[in-house]
Amino acid sequence: MARRAAVRTVQRRARGPVPQAKVPIRVKINGVEYSHEVEPRLLLVHYIRDVVGLTGTHIGCDTSNCGACTVLMKGTWGNEWRAVKSCTLYAVQADGAEIITIEGLAKNGELHPLQKAFWEHHALQCGYCTPGMILAALGFLKLNPNPTREEIRKGISGNLCRCTGYVNIVKAIEAAAKEIREKGSWI
Amino acid sequence: MTAQRAVGAPVARRDAFEKAVGAAKYASDLFLDDMLWVAVLRSKYPHARIRRIDTSKAESHPNVVAVFTHRDVPVNRYGLFKKDRPVLCDDKVRYIGDPIALVAAETREDALEALKLIEVDYEPLPPVTDPIEAMRPDAPKVHDDGNICREVHLRLGDVDGAFARADVIVENTYRTGAQIHAYLETEAGISYMEDGKIVVVAGGQSPYRDRAEIAHALNLPEEMIRVVTPYVGGAFGGKDDITVQIHLALVTWKTGRPARLVWSREESMMAGTKRHPAIIKIRTAATRDGTILANKIEIVLDKGAYTALGPAVLDVAVENCNGPYRVQASQIDAYLVYTNNMVASAFRGFGAPQVIFAIERQMDLLAKKLGMDPLELRLKNALRKGDRYVFGNVLEGSVGIAQCLEVARSHPLWRSRGRNSCEWPWLRRGVGVAAAMKGYTIGALPDKGVVALELLRDGRVLVKGSFTEIGQGVIQAVAQIAADLLGVSVDDVEVVFADTEVTPDTSVTSASRQLFLAGNAVREAVEALRERVAELEGRLSGRRPARVEFSGGWVFIDSERRYSLQELARLLESTGLGRQVLGVYEVPRVEPLPGTLEIPHLFYMFGVTLAEVLVNLLTGEVTVSKVVSIVDAGRVINPITFTGQVEGAVAQGIGFALMEDAKIRDGYLLTRDLSTYLIPSSKDVPEIEVIPVETEEAEGPFGAKGIGEIGIISVAPAILNAVADATGVEPNAIPLTHERLYWLLKEHGLVEQLRRAST
Ligand code: FES
Ligand code: FES
Repeated sequence: MARRAAVRTVQRRARGPVPQAKVPIRVKINGVEYSHEVEPRLLLVHYIRDVVGLTGTHIGCDTSNCGACTVLMKGTWGNEWRAVKSCTLYAVQADGAEIITIEGLAKNGELHPLQKAFWEHHALQCGYCTPGMILAALGFLKLNPNPTREEIRKGISGNLCRCTGYVNIVKAIEAAAKEIREKGSWI
Repeated sequence: MTAQRAVGAPVARRDAFEKAVGAAKYASDLFLDDMLWVAVLRSKYPHARIRRIDTSKAESHPNVVAVFTHRDVPVNRYGLFKKDRPVLCDDKVRYIGDPIALVAAETREDALEALKLIEVDYEPLPPVTDPIEAMRPDAPKVHDDGNICREVHLRLGDVDGAFARADVIVENTYRTGAQIHAYLETEAGISYMEDGKIVVVAGGQSPYRDRAEIAHALNLPEEMIRVVTPYVGGAFGGKDDITVQIHLALVTWKTGRPARLVWSREESMMAGTKRHPAIIKIRTAATRDGTILANKIEIVLDKGAYTALGPAVLDVAVENCNGPYRVQASQIDAYLVYTNNMVASAFRGFGAPQVIFAIERQMDLLAKKLGMDPLELRLKNALRKGDRYVFGNVLEGSVGIAQCLEVARSHPLWRSRGRNSCEWPWLRRGVGVAAAMKGYTIGALPDKGVVALELLRDGRVLVKGSFTEIGQGVIQAVAQIAADLLGVSVDDVEVVFADTEVTPDTSVTSASRQLFLAGNAVREAVEALRERVAELEGRLSGRRPARVEFSGGWVFIDSERRYSLQELARLLESTGLGRQVLGVYEVPRVEPLPGTLEIPHLFYMFGVTLAEVLVNLLTGEVTVSKVVSIVDAGRVINPITFTGQVEGAVAQGIGFALMEDAKIRDGYLLTRDLSTYLIPSSKDVPEIEVIPVETEEAEGPFGAKGIGEIGIISVAPAILNAVADATGVEPNAIPLTHERLYWLLKEHGLVEQLRRAST
């Protein structure tokens, strides 16, 4: 059985009682520049959802286990896009960074290959895990564009789905990987 | 797509599109202007008297708008079977999740801070956390009227005679754990006032029932409350009872302001309901050739602190505890017992996964004793259509269990059974089988569903019903059924769901019955529309037509005349007949056995699971490497939805069998998050093969049986039977974590044996 480590410190601290002076941040999300004054204890996921209003990014736990909050981000650790769990960062840590959420994946009304594959392969039921799952898959495909099913299972094992049993999720990612390779552009 | 093609076709779901682009709104995604953040103070103790609650400090917090306690609740008890659950605790707390006070504040942080300022003076009482202990007369009482919430005693057939005649008798005790739903979206909702009404938008499973509970607690007429259920991020029965709804309505009613309440994962783990843990003792009498003569079965379910849906769960356990077999006699004694553990209620399969786990392990142990093949033993005793079941009911609906078992018997996985060795000496392979059954629709209780069907002015069709979309794809399936019956493309059917203001009451979304009810109600609605067309024609031409047919976007009248649906809509409107009809479907019922709520059912669903496992003898780790789920599904409405539902159920079954270990000590939950309560990840779930066995259920819409639950029921026993096949040890309790299996293997000397072999 996969054991998942407990990482609790972030939110524990986030609930600290002292309101702090606000800090200005600038973040580019889905190509749009946002600047806000935020409390240092505000989590990035709450910033994205409550402040910016992009609620496609979800929250499923308080221990960084579920991956429902996964987004793509660059600019915090070098200039490569990578999938991060946005509940493991403070909003202030995203100052100057670029982020892609589920709302920013479709281009000119055309679904991203992963979105299309999740839809067509019935890789979702309640759909609550789906945005995080798609972005985790995208971050993974960027590192491994031609994965085996086993590798896909490993690649998304940080994201939980309670509804589907993962079978169709793996199929969808496999199909999308093929389309992405054929298209030659991953985003 | 035209008539007769939508049903049975693998259509991508419409809601799935919105979900894949991140546009679907769940209750937890809703934020309102000027909204209050609500937080709940929960009990520190599993059992204590409340001496005093002092909220004054919290109230004086600058950003706190209001604090509520039981004093603010007009009728402080709710519950579906028994109104025994306090909205906010008054005299006592009975489990660690029990709510004591609500804080409504301007921000999330303020609300959480203010919770810490509330002082509660408790007088801790001795808790009772073991259901067997709780049944003793001198045990601490959870409720004043004693700890036995409900008991059922049935004596069916000549049990003593059967035991006297038996060649073999097998007796064992089985245990199952407190599985937690762990849907990815926790319990969540918002509320606001609109036109003098309280509107609650929350994740739930039945808006009308939630509305009735809110109205009761606030002592308001139901018409003053509107409940809307948006897309729900998973439910599996865990949102069948009230969660956030009454608290939200109370805050908005008293403050006049919009409010938001979203449970944290920890809160969801503690205050959300669980699967009833069970202790099941079975004594089976059989003849030498493998004919089962009788079962004596004792069932004890740990109810936790409040009744919730427990009585119905107990009855499902009682009804299915003999398994899908021709058992001639049975003695059943079942108890539902209050403890100071967390509340148990509905969870996919209700009480069936517990008792089927027990009887299906028992079948393997019986087969072992008789020296028979476990699949042949099952097949020999399997129910057939027309059989009289143990309750005396004749099975008139379709009974596909024998077909399912036959498919299993010829499956390559079953045929490969017996190859136990692996490339490494410490790995052992095993294959197991288990069968499942469960009655569906509410059964002996009155059960009725209503949908409205509106012909839109542009000729498209709108179906309205209070069913909720909890991920099971009901909306798409309803659209497909309506499209077929009306001969229109499935894309021309709109569906509005789960809003007490605009959709009629299609009854509750649970017990695998929603599609059955809604589908039949749609069929009735189409009949009503046909009738209305006949009436229209009578008015227009003075003569009632003999035949009205819908096809290809037209309605044909006595094959003489036809109108497009658009035209029909116009005519219905201009004549004042109206474009909307109602379809009402009442489930045919059987008289319940005396002393039971809903035993027996009229319809049953069946299934068989095959599982392959690899057991590491050194660590006790079990890897499920393959699962085959064979399901008697009636006619499949949408194959993709169908297999998806079954795969998801199998994954939950794997968790139930091996991983999901809610550690509860003295009433305290130790596993309060997803890092300690492990649900299956993509690495724990193997490839799953789903094989539908299509039998025709005459009463169902297009023969569809409920499928939401059957897939989970026989997974755990199949896995444990496979572990037994692999190792020779006979584990009878789940979850079988690797630690538990390790100790069992050690007890049986397997670890020693291996060590000796390697030196
Ligand atoms: S919310 Fe669960 S990992 Fe971020
Ligand atoms: S689809 Fe419901 S959690 Fe994945």
